Amino acid sequence: MKIMNCPMNGPRNVSEFVWGGEVREMPDPAASDHEWAEYVFIENNTKGVVREWWMHAPTSYWFIAERNTETDEIVRTYPATELYNSRREFK
Amino acid sequence: MSSHRLPQPHGILIDRSKSITLRFEGRDYPAFQGDTITSALLASGQRVISRSFKYHRPRGTLSMMAQEANSLVQFPGEPSVRADTAAVPAGIDVRAQNYLGSLGRDWLSVIEWLSPFLPVGFYYKAFYKPKGVWKYWERLIRALAGLGRIDEHAHHGYADKAYLFADVAVIGGGAAGMQAALDAAAAGAEVILIDDQPRLGGALNYARFDVEGRRGARLAEELRGRIGAAGNIQVLTDATCTGWFADNWLPVTQGQRLYKLRAKSVVIAAGALEQPTVFRNNDLPGIMYGSAAQRLIRLYGVKPGHRAVVATANDAGYAVALDLIEAGVTVAGVVDLRAEPSASPFASAVAARGIAVHQRHAVCEGIPGPGKRSLFGVEIDAITGRGVTAGRPHRIECDLLCTSVGYTPAGHLVCHSGGQLVYDSDLSMLVIDRLPGSTAIAAGAVNAAFELDAALAEGTYAGWRAAQLAGLGVGAEPPRPAARAGAAGQNHPWPIFPHPKGRDFIDFDEDLQVKDILNALADGYDDLDLVKRYSTVVMGPSQGRHSALNNMRLATVGAGRELQGATVTTQRPPFQPELLEVLGGRGFQPTRLTAMHHRHLELGAQMMPAGVWLRPAYYGAESRRAENIAAEVRAVRENVGLIDVSTLGKLEIRGPDAAEFLNRMYTFAYAKQPVGRSRYVLMTDGTGAIADDGVACRMNEQHFYVTATTSGVDAVYRAMMRWNAEWRLNVDIANVTAAFQAVNLAGPKSREVLAKLVSDIDLGSEAFPYMGVREGHAAGVPARLMRVGFVGELGYEIHVPASQGEHLWDALMREGAAHGIRAFGVEAQRVLRLEKGHIIIGQDTDGLTFPQEAEMGWAIAASKPFYVGKRAIDVQAARPLTRRLVGFALPAGTTLPEECHLTVRGEEIVGRVTSIAMSASLGKAVGLAYVAPDQAEPGTRFDIKLGNGTIIQGEVVPVPFYDPENKRQEM
Amino acid sequence: MNTPLTPQSLPRRSFLYRKLAALGARFAAGNEAAIAASFGGTDEAAAAHNLGLADLSPLRRVGFKGPGAADWLVAQGLTVPEVNRCAAQADGARLFRLGANDLMITTDLGATATLPDKLSAAWAALENPPQSPRGFPMPRQEGFCWFVLTGRHAAAAMAKVCGVDLRPHRFPVGAIAQTSVARLSAVAARDDINGTLAFQLFADSASAEYWWDCILDAMQEFGGRPVGTEALRAL
Repeated sequence: MKIMNCPMNGPRNVSEFVWGGEVREMPDPAASDHEWAEYVFIENNTKGVVREWWMHAPTSYWFIAERNTETDEIVRTYPATELYNSRREFK
Repeated sequence: MSSHRLPQPHGILIDRSKSITLRFEGRDYPAFQGDTITSALLASGQRVISRSFKYHRPRGTLSMMAQEANSLVQFPGEPSVRADTAAVPAGIDVRAQNYLGSLGRDWLSVIEWLSPFLPVGFYYKAFYKPKGVWKYWERLIRALAGLGRIDEHAHHGYADKAYLFADVAVIGGGAAGMQAALDAAAAGAEVILIDDQPRLGGALNYARFDVEGRRGARLAEELRGRIGAAGNIQVLTDATCTGWFADNWLPVTQGQRLYKLRAKSVVIAAGALEQPTVFRNNDLPGIMYGSAAQRLIRLYGVKPGHRAVVATANDAGYAVALDLIEAGVTVAGVVDLRAEPSASPFASAVAARGIAVHQRHAVCEGIPGPGKRSLFGVEIDAITGRGVTAGRPHRIECDLLCTSVGYTPAGHLVCHSGGQLVYDSDLSMLVIDRLPGSTAIAAGAVNAAFELDAALAEGTYAGWRAAQLAGLGVGAEPPRPAARAGAAGQNHPWPIFPHPKGRDFIDFDEDLQVKDILNALADGYDDLDLVKRYSTVVMGPSQGRHSALNNMRLATVGAGRELQGATVTTQRPPFQPELLEVLGGRGFQPTRLTAMHHRHLELGAQMMPAGVWLRPAYYGAESRRAENIAAEVRAVRENVGLIDVSTLGKLEIRGPDAAEFLNRMYTFAYAKQPVGRSRYVLMTDGTGAIADDGVACRMNEQHFYVTATTSGVDAVYRAMMRWNAEWRLNVDIANVTAAFQAVNLAGPKSREVLAKLVSDIDLGSEAFPYMGVREGHAAGVPARLMRVGFVGELGYEIHVPASQGEHLWDALMREGAAHGIRAFGVEAQRVLRLEKGHIIIGQDTDGLTFPQEAEMGWAIAASKPFYVGKRAIDVQAARPLTRRLVGFALPAGTTLPEECHLTVRGEEIVGRVTSIAMSASLGKAVGLAYVAPDQAEPGTRFDIKLGNGTIIQGEVVPVPFYDPENKRQEM
Repeated sequence: MNTPLTPQSLPRRSFLYRKLAALGARFAAGNEAAIAASFGGTDEAAAAHNLGLADLSPLRRVGFKGPGAADWLVAQGLTVPEVNRCAAQADGARLFRLGANDLMITTDLGATATLPDKLSAAWAALENPPQSPRGFPMPRQEGFCWFVLTGRHAAAAMAKVCGVDLRPHRFPVGAIAQTSVARLSAVAARDDINGTLAFQLFADSASAEYWWDCILDAMQEFGGRPVGTEALRAL
C-alpha cells in the first residue's frame, strides 16, 4: 500500500484518502454548453504529472496532490489554499 | 523409535521427549513434537503422500519445502495443506488428495494410459467443439482433476491482523539475513527479521559447509545468540512474507495472524531454491533434491532411504553424499553430469570413502517399484551432448536418488514489486537484474552469493546499506564483496534428458512433460507467456518454484531464442498460498446505533440496515409483518406515532456566508428564508442529477441546521468541504449527525402529547406553524423542534443531544400511552410518505434523474446566478423531457407490481415502478412510476409489465394521493 | 436508604452504558450522567497499568470550530498548540487541536477542570450571531464517544486496530493522530496518566458499542480488561 503525505496529518496509508478528481478550473457559468459539458464530463486523462484533489477521510481535509499517472509516484502534496486563496464570486 | 529415525544430534527441530501421533489415511504414525506431516510419514517409511493432478501418479516429497504440489494433503476443513512444512495436527485424520479408491491403488491412475490422447492444449482442442459441449465435459473433468475438496460448512476460525513497523525488514533468516539484521541493528536500526522456518539459520541448519560438517551449526548458533542479545531485532519465525508492495508494504502471515509490516528499507535474503533434473520417471517417490535429504536428516532426524544414488552437477552433491553416509545410508554411486572431475575437498572425501563416481554421466530413467509407489533403481548413461546420452544405459539399484543440479533465486518478492530476474548464460542461472524502488538490497544466495563467507559479507554490507536507506546515521561503508561469489559451477546448463517414452516431468504440479512444452511451441505458442497459458506450466500451486527455470530453458531454446538475458514469466503475490480466513482476519464492520436502539429491540423491532445504521423496519413478529405495518400506519393516521429518525444526516452551516453557501449547494433560494422557518433543500450534482435532499432550518441569520439523507450525508459533507476549498466562503461546515438524536412525533394527537413535555415553547398552530422551527426544551432536554409533514399529519421533529435521546424517547412513549401512541418503523413511514407522494432520493430517483423529470421543478430557484448543477439543469430543461415521474393507482384486487418492474409501451421500455404500496387509508394500491411524457396527464392509463410477463394497467392520478390540500399536516 | 445510581437514573447517559453494566460496572455520578467508576476485582489498578480500557464519554468536553476559533481561545488565555498536538491547560483541562480552527477542550479525569463549561458560557454570553470571528461551538460531548486506553501494552493493542505507528518512542506525549481505528475515523492522542502510557480515543458516538468491542477484542491477548475511573485516578 502506498504512502501519501497529507499536508495536515503527515504520511499515511493511502487507504485513509479519497480521490476527488483532477483539479480543473470551473468555466464561467455563461460559457457555451459545449464548454460546460467538457468541464463536467471529460477528464483529461493526462499521462504524466497531474494535479488532483485528495481528501484525508478521517479529517475531511481536502488538499492538492501532484501525481505522475505513468509511475503512480506522488510528486508533491500541498494545501488547496496554494491554488485557491480568494473568494470565488458568481454574478 | 522407528527404523528410519536417526539419533541426535540429527533432528534439531524435533523434541524426542514429546511423542505425538499422526493420523494419515486412517492409520496412526508415531511422530515427535516438531515433526511435519511429511517427516513423520517418512520416518515410518511412508513415501507416497498424494497423487498427481492429472495422471494420478503416486508422489512423495521433492523438496521437503512444499516447492511442488506433490505433498499437498487434505484436512477436514482445509484443502491442499503443505505436508512438507505443516506441523502434525492433533486429533484429525489427514487425507491424501487426488485419488479414487485408496492412495495405494487409485482407480483414476488409468487416466495415465489415456495420456497419448490428452495432449497439451487438449481442453481447448477437444471440448469446445461442437459449440456448447464444454458444459457437459466440464463437470466430468472437474470431478477427475483438481486438488483438495472445499468444505463449504467448514468452521471459520479466529484470525486477526496487526500492523508492524520497522526501520529495516530482513526477509530470510539464513546466514546472509541474520548477518544483515545484526549489522543494521548495530547501526541503530529497528529490525524485523522474518523467516518461514521454526528456527533461524536457513541452510546453516541442514547443509554441509565443510567436510567435517560442523561449521553450519556452529555459525547458526553464534548468530542466533547475537541476534537474541541485540535488543533491537524482532524475530518472526514460522512466518512468511507473501508479497512486496508499494513503499515497502509487506504482508507477513504467521499462523492465524496477518501482519502488515511497513519498513523504511528492505533486505531480501530469501535464499535460493534447489531445482529438479528432468528424465523419465523423475517424479517417483524416493527421488528428491539433495537439500531435501539433508533437511530430513538434520532437521527431523529422518533417514531418507537405505541405498542411494546422488546425481550432481556441483560440489553440493558431494556434501549430500557425505551426509547420507553419516546418516547410515549406503551410497551406491555418484553420477556427476560435469565433464571434468571436481577438485573440491567434498569430492575428495567421497572418493576417499571408496564411492564410485560416474563422471559425465546422467540419470536417464528412474525404474519404478510396484505400482510406481517407490524407486527401484536408476538407469545411468554417458552424456554425449546437450540433453543427449549415449543410449547404452546401465542400472544401479537404489531406493533413493538425490539430485543437486542447480538453484534458482527465491526472488519472487523482488518481482512482486517490479524487479526482474534474467538468465545469465555464464552461470546458467537466473539472477536479480534490478531491485524495486530505491530502498531495497539483496544479500546471500538470492543474490547469487553461494560461498558462505561471501554471503556473510553481503549480509554485512546489506545491513549497513539498509540502515543508511532507512535514514540512520551509519559508520564507514564496509567493503562491498565481489558479486556472485561461488555462483559459477552451481548450475548445470541443461539438466534435461527427454525420453522417447515421456514421463520426463518439467512441472510436477500440472503433470507436464518435455513433449508438452515442445508441442505448445509447435502449435505456435512460442512466447514464454503463451506457453504458460496454453500448457498451464508454472500455473500450479507452486507457481513455478520448481519448474520455471527448466521450462524457460526448454521453451526459449526450443523457440530458437537466446537464453542470455531472457526473463521468466511474471511472478505475482502471494509467494505461498494464503488462507482466505487469515486474509479476512477479524473483520471490522462498523455499525452505527441510535440512542434508542435498545428500546427498539425491547419493543420487538425487526431491524434493517440503512447504510451503516440499523433502523426498525417495523415492530412485532415477522409472521405478522403486514398487520404490524398496517397497525403502525393506522396509529399515525388516527392517533399518534413515534419514529426514530436519528439516522438523518445533520449539518451545521454557520458564518456570514451561510445563506450564500446554501444557495450554491442547493437548488432553492435561502438568502431571504426567515429565521425560525425551515425550507426544503434539493442537491444536484454537476450533471444536474438529483443527489440528496432534506430541510434547512434557519436558526439565526448566520446559522442553518440542515438535514440530509441517512446514506447521503457523508457524500454531502464531503462535497460541501470540497466546494468550499475552492470557493473560500466565510462559513463553517460541521457534520453533527451523531451528536443529535431525533424523533418524528406524528399524528393528529401529537400536539397533545408534546404539550405535556414542552413548557417553554408555544405549540399553538399560529405561534408554531407548519414549517416552523423552535428551540427550547422537551422532557427537560435542550431541543430543536420543527414542524414537518413528511408523513402527512400534524407532526414534530424533535432533535436533542445524543446522550439524552433515550430519555426523550421514554418520555414521549410514556406521555403518549394515554393517546394510543405507537412506535412505527421505516416500512410504515414508506407507506405514509407514499400516500403523500413524497419521493425518496435513491428509490424514486436514480443517478440520472434531474429535477424536472421527478416533478421537482418547484424546488429550483431559476433566478440564482449559480448552484452546482444549474448549468446542466438549464441545458436539460430546454429540451423535451424523456420521462416523467407520476403517481398512479391500481384498482382493488390487482396483483401488485414490485418496485423496479417496468412500465412499457408495446415492446418499448418507457420507465419503471419506483414505489408501490397498498394504502389502507385510501382503500387502493398507489405508487410512483416513470412513464413517457405524453402519459403523464391524470387519467391516462399505462402498461406495467410484471415479473411473470403479465401486463397490468395503472392509472395516473394526481399527488398527493392522501389529503391533497395538506390540511392535516398544517393543523 | 439511597438507591444505587443506575445509568438510567439520569437523562444523560453514556453511549454504551448497557455494555458497561453487563461487564459489571459500578457507576458513580459525573457531569449529570453515570460514569463507570469500577468494574470490581482486586487487580483493577494493576490492570490499568497493564492494559485497561475506560469509558469517559460522560465527562465534559466542548469544541470550537470555524474561522477565528483558535484566536478566540488564545484570547481566552488558553495554551493553543500546533495542529495535531494536545496541551494541558492551567486547571488541568486538555486542549486537542484537530485543525487550524478545530479545537476540543476536555475536562480532566477527576472532572475538576471547569474550563469547558467556562468557555461555553463565555461564547454564549457574547452577541450571536458573532460580529467578529470566534468560531462556533461543536457538540463534541455528543458527537464523540471518549475512551482511554492505558498501560504498557496500549501501543501493541492499538497496532491491531490502527495503521499509525503509536509506539511510545515514535509517538510522543502530546501527539495526536487523526486516523482510522478499527475502520472508524478517530482521534488518538498520547496523554499519559502519571507516567503510565495512555491514549485518549475519540470517535463517532453512534459507533461506540462497535468500537468498544473491537478495542476490547484487540486487548485480549495482552490480558487487557475494562477499568473504571477510580483505577485511572489511582495511576
